[in-house]
Amino acid sequence: MYKLITNNPELHHDVKNSELIEGSALDVLIHVRSLVHLGSHLLTHPLCGNLRPNHQPFRSILIDEKNGLADLDSLSLIEEAVRIYQSCMIITPEELDSSTRNDYAYIDSELMRESLGQYGMMKDANINAAPLLLLKKEVLN
Amino acid sequence: MKLELHRLSIKSLKFGDNTGFKDGTLTVNKAELLEMISEDPLLGKNIDVDIAMPGEKTRIIPVKDVIEPRWKIEGSGQVFPGMVSDVETVGEGKTLVLSGCAVLTAGKIVRFQEGIIDMSGPGADYTPYSKTCNVVLVLEPSDPNMDKHDYEKACRIAGLKAAAYLAKSCAEADSESEIETYEYADIKTGMNSLPELPKVGYLYMLQTQGLLHDTYLYGVDVKRILPTIISPLEVMDGAIVSGNCVSACDKNSTYSHQNNPVIADMLKRHGKDFNFVACIVTNENVTLADKRRSSSYATKLAHMLGLDGIVITEEGFGNPDADLIMNCWKAERYGIKTALLTDEYAGQDGASQSLADSCPEGNACVTAGNANEVIHLPAMEKVIGYAEEANVIAGGWNGSLSEDGSITVELQAITGSTSELGYTKLGAYTL
Repeated sequence: MYKLITNNPELHHDVKNSELIEGSALDVLIHVRSLVHLGSHLLTHPLCGNLRPNHQPFRSILIDEKNGLADLDSLSLIEEAVRIYQSCMIITPEELDSSTRNDYAYIDSELMRESLGQYGMMKDANINAAPLLLLKKEVLN
Repeated sequence: MKLELHRLSIKSLKFGDNTGFKDGTLTVNKAELLEMISEDPLLGKNIDVDIAMPGEKTRIIPVKDVIEPRWKIEGSGQVFPGMVSDVETVGEGKTLVLSGCAVLTAGKIVRFQEGIIDMSGPGADYTPYSKTCNVVLVLEPSDPNMDKHDYEKACRIAGLKAAAYLAKSCAEADSESEIETYEYADIKTGMNSLPELPKVGYLYMLQTQGLLHDTYLYGVDVKRILPTIISPLEVMDGAIVSGNCVSACDKNSTYSHQNNPVIADMLKRHGKDFNFVACIVTNENVTLADKRRSSSYATKLAHMLGLDGIVITEEGFGNPDADLIMNCWKAERYGIKTALLTDEYAGQDGASQSLADSCPEGNACVTAGNANEVIHLPAMEKVIGYAEEANVIAGGWNGSLSEDGSITVELQAITGSTSELGYTKLGAYTL
């Protein structure tokens, strides 16, 4: 089941199946890592595009939540992302003024919207594309 | 295909009654230019046009895009196809270029995603756009609550229109231009005539992640394409347009696409060191499925073309590093040797890992510099735009702007400072 893990309240409200993490971007990554350990697959890359960890307080990651053996590709990506976030200073939403925080939340939402649409995750049906038909291993077996 | 670039050398700028070129000076009719830009109802009433010359104590902030004025005087199509011109294929004929001149679009969009250009001082050494005679459009939306997508588009189109207008207005001076000729044979001819040379391609990665992270090919949003093949000459006519305002240092401005040094150098070495077969355009999307699809498809195209080697340039950093690395190892596993061009985010002390991803096959990598390097920019006599944006742009922080008007930022904040197309003023050269 597709699920968004995010610390961005703005995006959380717009998405069909979303878990809001009240914390930092690193908290989001660590929670996703736990889910990957339990068998979930990453659908979006855990790092931002073009923003260093200390330049984007919000992180939103789309996963295919399931239980089972850990997917090694997902595990490698999320471990590397956690390592990067732990190796540098990060900013948290609370330490920003509201105008700047809104800009960051907006950019995070916008960058995820396309991906969420591809997987049919947006509540606003007008911007939902048909969900991706990804052949799953269990279909083959 | 043959494209002649007719270069008019612009040495100075001034405002005057008639837009045109005379004795190295580009005269701009400010009222006419403003009127043309103001046609767009999305732009507000307080838009302005200013001039910034190399060596002046002028700072422009926040800068969105940089565009070189060009206008086709012969051949099919027109500059910036699908944007401000028809969609006809470009890359052949004659194109007038106002060399040494640039149009800058400035103004607040999403505040932290734009850059700084200093026309003199230490910051000027880091941006190639301190050496150009700049026509600066200072823009604002007609409605402060306007959708940011709409406003970004309005700014993008305003810059392109201004660039096309300025070059078109100089068409009568074509006889004074210096002609630079580029030729690109079709793939079959190249293969037959240069059988002994290695077959080399260029994998041109374009930033395509969403609002302010988009690039357009013939007006098409590149995040919606499968990787495709274009002639390198099409790029010189503005087939690729930036809709980008990501970190200023390594977003590829429209100007750097038009003047892509990788393409220019590969064309110069074509027929001598290698056979430059084709340019493959690909995207940098957000989902892992898109990343896998595009990297597999782009490298498959390289394999189908029988390439021996490929130059890959990235745009941006962070999760696009994953696209770069996938392109690298997938090409290498086809037996295609790769050379990567990127920049680094190695922290202010340069000690952190430079890229977010890596692979053993990525053993030939060129860097455009560390974007986290900190620089102090002294106060300028004149600021075009909004100086306080230094506190919020990527590479700056709250307190970057001092009371005396000086700015302390990472190189990330300076437009084009670590261009991943290599369009920079700083570099290492083999003597």
